[in-house]
Amino acid sequence: MKHTGLVRRTAPVAVEDGRLTDFAYLAPGAVYLDSACQSLRPQPVIDALSEYYTEYNACGGRVKYAWGTRVDREVQDARRAVLDLFGLSGRSHAVSFTLNTTFGLNLLQQLPQGRFGRVVTSHIEHNSVFLPTMTAATRLGVPRLVLDRAADGALAYQPAQLERAVVVVNVASNIDGRLLTNLTDLVRDTHAHGGIVILDAAQAMAHERTLLAKTEADAICFSAHKMYGASLGVVVATHELLGSLELTFVGGGMVADVREDSYDLLANDPGALLEPGLQAWGEIIALHRAIDWLGQVRPGGRPAAEHIEGLSQRLFEGLGDIPGLTLVNTEASPVISVYAPKQDSHRLAVFLSQSQIMVRSGYFCAHHYLKDQLGLPPLLRFSLGLHSTTADIDQATQALARLMKGLS
Amino acid sequence: MFCIAAFIVLVLMAAVSARYRRYLGKAWNCTLRRVTFRPCDTTFKQDIKDHLLAPLAVRRPGLVGPASVALEVVALLVVLTTVWSAYVVVKSGVNLYVYGTCNKQDSASCSLGAEACAIPDQTPTFGESLLSGDVIGAFGNDFASLGETFSAIPARMQNWDAEEYLPANASYLNAYDTEKETALEVIDPGCTYCLELFNNIEEAGFDDRMNLTYIAYPIASADGYKFKNSLLVTQYLEALRLNPLDGAATPVDWEILRRIYTEDNDQGVSWQSVFNGAEPDAATALLQDWSAEFGLSPEEVTTVASVAASAEVADIIAANTQMVEERIHTVKIPSIIFEGRRHDGLVSVDDLK
Repeated sequence: MKHTGLVRRTAPVAVEDGRLTDFAYLAPGAVYLDSACQSLRPQPVIDALSEYYTEYNACGGRVKYAWGTRVDREVQDARRAVLDLFGLSGRSHAVSFTLNTTFGLNLLQQLPQGRFGRVVTSHIEHNSVFLPTMTAATRLGVPRLVLDRAADGALAYQPAQLERAVVVVNVASNIDGRLLTNLTDLVRDTHAHGGIVILDAAQAMAHERTLLAKTEADAICFSAHKMYGASLGVVVATHELLGSLELTFVGGGMVADVREDSYDLLANDPGALLEPGLQAWGEIIALHRAIDWLGQVRPGGRPAAEHIEGLSQRLFEGLGDIPGLTLVNTEASPVISVYAPKQDSHRLAVFLSQSQIMVRSGYFCAHHYLKDQLGLPPLLRFSLGLHSTTADIDQATQALARLMKGLS
Repeated sequence: MFCIAAFIVLVLMAAVSARYRRYLGKAWNCTLRRVTFRPCDTTFKQDIKDHLLAPLAVRRPGLVGPASVALEVVALLVVLTTVWSAYVVVKSGVNLYVYGTCNKQDSASCSLGAEACAIPDQTPTFGESLLSGDVIGAFGNDFASLGETFSAIPARMQNWDAEEYLPANASYLNAYDTEKETALEVIDPGCTYCLELFNNIEEAGFDDRMNLTYIAYPIASADGYKFKNSLLVTQYLEALRLNPLDGAATPVDWEILRRIYTEDNDQGVSWQSVFNGAEPDAATALLQDWSAEFGLSPEEVTTVASVAASAEVADIIAANTQMVEERIHTVKIPSIIFEGRRHDGLVSVDDLK
């Protein structure tokens, strides 16, 4: 069955074993628990991508034939759908599509010289935040301040620390899912001190979007592939921030005119400033389908958030019951990290893989926090998606429990 | 150790399948660090071990620990056997070049070289030394043997001139001709390959082209001589050389050798076989009968018998033995020196032409 943006689908329903029919392609016995890296794509998203490639595979923003104008229309709809996700207006914000969250965060840090007095981030950041804040501070010639996050995820700061600050933090941790619970206060205080807030929302978009509703942050970066879309990065930023950037990464698709030694950027399309070159049109269109799908999906007849919350609790309790395992999380979350002091997490991941259970092992690009700050060994991470079922969780926890017992 | 073993295995597997070549780089980096006494900086070892153990972990996780230890032991054995194999290959190759046999201690056991009767090395083999608990001796003897082989390489590469190794009282199959080059055989009268070589020589007409002479070398064994009557025949040959028959077209010692190597008795058994199975008295009687048949008077036969048992002949044989073992350095009988080379083992008719 093919879908177009004009057709409204009926809400997906669960299959017999509790798995949504949109993930019916998943092989029996396969347990995918690495949604924090990238979520499985529901069938409608796959169909949307396939539809683009097979029915109107044209360039956007530059052609006059029917396929191209359809692409323009679909992309425009996708931008609007992204803004609608946050309840933001196109008059104040623009949407740019990039390669991934890391790419978006780096693009945004082409910040103007002299405008900012410091760069602020936190210890629990992903390397996609941690590293670019280092290079940004160096380029801007300002100090970089690394702050703590409370157990509830709130950034621990003194307002004075936000003076003319570029604050770059995540909304949800990719280690334990803790949320930036003081986001509203942080944005308010930062703006009050002349700074800006750039959010890494990669881990929040799938299941914790409500925290970002009508946010006044200056920019939000996230990845479509962590929220059931195809592989794509997204930046939502204020026109003001985009207009202030000192762009060094430029090219076709963002210029109004070009002369021998100068050029004019598009004046009325701020989003295009971060989109040099041809875009991933199919992936952009598929993102729109993912957003639609997320708005409709009701696993087991329940809202998606409720479903995920129930699974998270089951996973948290299941892992907590396994002797010899230490949980990094203090509470249930769609992302739960654990480690066994006497076992190598990579080995456990390989062994679980033998049972078709796919979990992540290592430091999840958060080396500084996990290795330097906490002194932890590589972890084992379980992250849930809307494809997940209670049977998946039970299979994983039972397999891990058996391994832990046998290996001890 | 594990990543070194994995590298060794992967080299072999990558040779037949491209699938494994992608892992070779990682394995090599890890191996390079290990052999330079640095820790491996990748998870390669762990990755390989985990993937090998994963099927077991699913079924019997309790066995993962012992299996992991077993893998380490297997890895150690793989490395040790590979190193030892490499050592044996090098050693065998050098031995093959220097001595014409890959097994210097028992040259007959090596099928790569020419066929020959081996001059057994009385030194205990590596395995024998180990079995007797002499670990140091096992390695020491082996390395000493290899060192000896390496030291013999220059001699192997030299230009061999038979004239430099002639025995005392050398006798020639045909009349000595100054126009001809000299060829020197090292033979044991009882060795079947010496018989074959003699036949090849005659078939190739080698004896007509060369001044052919010989050193009779009875191959020793742990309990005497490899062939029962080789020493006796050798004593007679040397005695006949000391007492040549005037006017003989072919020296009597060569006549005896020719008969041993080319003729059969009435029952169709080769004389060489007869000698190898005969009691000393019978062998002595045969030698004396043949000497008489080839022209020696009864008195001369008696003299030869006396000389054969003399200290003079014993000294000659000892000198010849020393020549063979310490100067010619062969471990295979027959050996033959001609045209600038030392040929170890049986030489074909074609090569003699």
